[in-house]
Amino acid sequence: MIVRDMDSNRGSGGTDSALSVKGLRKVFQRPAVDGLDLTIRRGEFYALLGPNGAGKTTTLRMVAGLMKPDAGSVSIFGIDALAVPNAAKQITAWVSDEPMIYDKLTPLEYLAFVSGLWGVDPKLAEANARDLLRWLELMPNAEERCEGFSKGMRQKVALAGALVHDPKLIILDEPLTGLDARAARLVKDVLLEKVRQGHTVIMTTHILEVAERMAERIGVISRGKLIAEGTLDELRHQAGTKESGTAGDTSLEDVFLTLVAEEEPLA
Amino acid sequence: MSGTATHPRSLLWLSRQESRLSWRDLVWLMTAGYRWRGRSVVIWLLFVTVVMHLIAWGMVGRYAQVGLSAGLESLTAITGSIGLAFFLMMSQALEQVTRLFYGRGDLDLLKSSPVSLRRVLGLRVLSVATSTCAMTVFVAGPFINVLTFEGGPRWLCGYGVAIAAGLGASGIALVLTSALFDLMGARRTRLASQIVAAVIGSAFIIAIQVVAIVSIGTMSQSAFFHSESVIAHAPDLGSPFWLPARAILGDPVPLLGVLLIGVAMFGVPVLLLAGRLGDYAMAAASADHALGHSTRVGFTSLFLGRFRMTSSAALLRRKEWVLLLRDPWLASQSLMQLLYLIPPAIFLWRSYGETQGALIVLAPVLTMAAGQLGGGLAWLAVSGEDAPDLIASAPITERRMILAKVQSVLIAILLVFAPFLIAMAGRSLKIAGIVAVGIAVAATASTLIQVWFRSQAKRRYFRRRQTSSRIATFAEAFSSVAWAGSAAIAASGSWVAIGPTVIALMVLAGAWIIRPK
Repeated sequence: MIVRDMDSNRGSGGTDSALSVKGLRKVFQRPAVDGLDLTIRRGEFYALLGPNGAGKTTTLRMVAGLMKPDAGSVSIFGIDALAVPNAAKQITAWVSDEPMIYDKLTPLEYLAFVSGLWGVDPKLAEANARDLLRWLELMPNAEERCEGFSKGMRQKVALAGALVHDPKLIILDEPLTGLDARAARLVKDVLLEKVRQGHTVIMTTHILEVAERMAERIGVISRGKLIAEGTLDELRHQAGTKESGTAGDTSLEDVFLTLVAEEEPLA
Repeated sequence: MSGTATHPRSLLWLSRQESRLSWRDLVWLMTAGYRWRGRSVVIWLLFVTVVMHLIAWGMVGRYAQVGLSAGLESLTAITGSIGLAFFLMMSQALEQVTRLFYGRGDLDLLKSSPVSLRRVLGLRVLSVATSTCAMTVFVAGPFINVLTFEGGPRWLCGYGVAIAAGLGASGIALVLTSALFDLMGARRTRLASQIVAAVIGSAFIIAIQVVAIVSIGTMSQSAFFHSESVIAHAPDLGSPFWLPARAILGDPVPLLGVLLIGVAMFGVPVLLLAGRLGDYAMAAASADHALGHSTRVGFTSLFLGRFRMTSSAALLRRKEWVLLLRDPWLASQSLMQLLYLIPPAIFLWRSYGETQGALIVLAPVLTMAAGQLGGGLAWLAVSGEDAPDLIASAPITERRMILAKVQSVLIAILLVFAPFLIAMAGRSLKIAGIVAVGIAVAATASTLIQVWFRSQAKRRYFRRRQTSSRIATFAEAFSSVAWAGSAAIAASGSWVAIGPTVIALMVLAGAWIIRPK
């Protein structure tokens, strides 16, 4: 176990869903998210896929409280995230593809700052921070400023920051972009470990093999709407790509391309 | 590529590319990337040009009849003005030359291409010289035009002096940068050159003010250049020291000499150092990669280095202070503002024990400085937040977060100005109190304007912060000036201080009304 439990993640609250999104809508020049409904179960690893500009990031930013929706509702572990955002944020973590860290701080200082923002008990926070830095192989750099860190190291620091307050819901937007194989493996291991501990993970990614291997359920979003959802097998059925009787099943890539092509036919 | 016959990779082809990049950079600086701002910028430039000519008329119009047989007093005043402009140009050029090596931009692309890096960097140094000359001509132009209109075409020689000074300043900047690379290594050169640029930019004016305070008891540069003691120590009328001044007055031979000196000051360093420019660029790139291995965090680690129970507001304040103290770009930008506080400090020290009247002079200087510094720090804390998503995703309300950042700025301002206020309180509690209020309201007003007009940006764009909102920039400047005037008049004991106070409040109210919603 890499992070000491601050409370039990399973069974708390009076709802089975970790995240419930209903009728979510956001319009910029055109609808970026268009009446999206999404439910993610507790302790689930959920991958949200979609082509560029489909509305994945906008959806997750609204869920994380970084952007206000034009319409709809967001409920995190039964908490109305739009009515009481701070209560929802208290149990949520956000990691984006662009690591949001301070160049002039060391990883330890950064984690002290983040855990302070979430009001984590200092002793527990320090123990969590050191565990995470050790797990993510950042301990040798714990006292160095982040300004010269590689993309992978920066992303690992950002991930440690997201996990140091032991969130129930971890939202990740393309967290593996630009990471080398070793760093990507570490990040994936940490996320799987968190799911094993009962935390809920929702992640967008363009690396379909990652979604195929890690996610229990996959949602495909296109033009701001959820066009398909389920396990990989269920998606194959929905896409009509299940080759019954053949030796192998179609890959997620084929399923994804089929689903998206139906929604967004080439001009 | 355009359809002209320019051969790729030729000097002309590269210079066209460089000119296009420089032009777009300039346009972006003025319009912040908004196309619709183009017409506004043209109108604004015309307005500024007219205003600058009017100001120039008021300042130098009466000197248009000063002839070639000018006396020591006129030559001293002209030479002093040239010196002041020259040091500012050097500061500007040094910053640009440093940026040339450290600004990553397209340098990696160029380094990986078969184009001669020496040629590219040589061209970019020339571009620095061109922009330095252009800026000098833009600022000095109205003064030269007014003098020409009033006193005849001989004053046009001023343009020649401006160009020579721009070339000379760029040459010295190149030599200084090269010396810093050789002496301090690529890793320390960036910060060192920023500090040297800040010191050079303010050194001349501060030195003049300090000498003026010590010798004739005033901070006025004009009074200093016209003082008997300065004229008594000035070189003879026939000295080559007066060449630039004589060139400005329209004497063709000194003008030719000044131009030749300017060309030599630029050309010789470029020729001698051209072969090493590529090495410097490579060393700068390596230094960037090596930065992360620095383990020094210094005393600032005391603010954030430990895990402890504290409020999120206190945590945000401490984070802002650590980032402010560790930011080299900020160091260079704010150092200039802080250095300008040296003359008032010396003035305060010198006038200790004398009449309270001397203290009144300090009221506007300190209030203005607080307003400007407050605006800069507020921009860094609010708009220059490096991890906006982290803060937005934290369980803290936006209102509380902004309040904490505002507090961090105001406490920093208090720490900077406290020694002045304590020293003033020793002489006059009343004036110290008025100045304290002036500093507090000027800094608070600038901070509020930055909060109202906040627009997410990278901290490294601090130098260009004015491009995100011209309105905020001018509101901040007008507000600081009005509060400075109010503090000065209030310190002198007059109720007329209500006038500028009302203006300052109107500026603030206007900014609040038109703030982006």
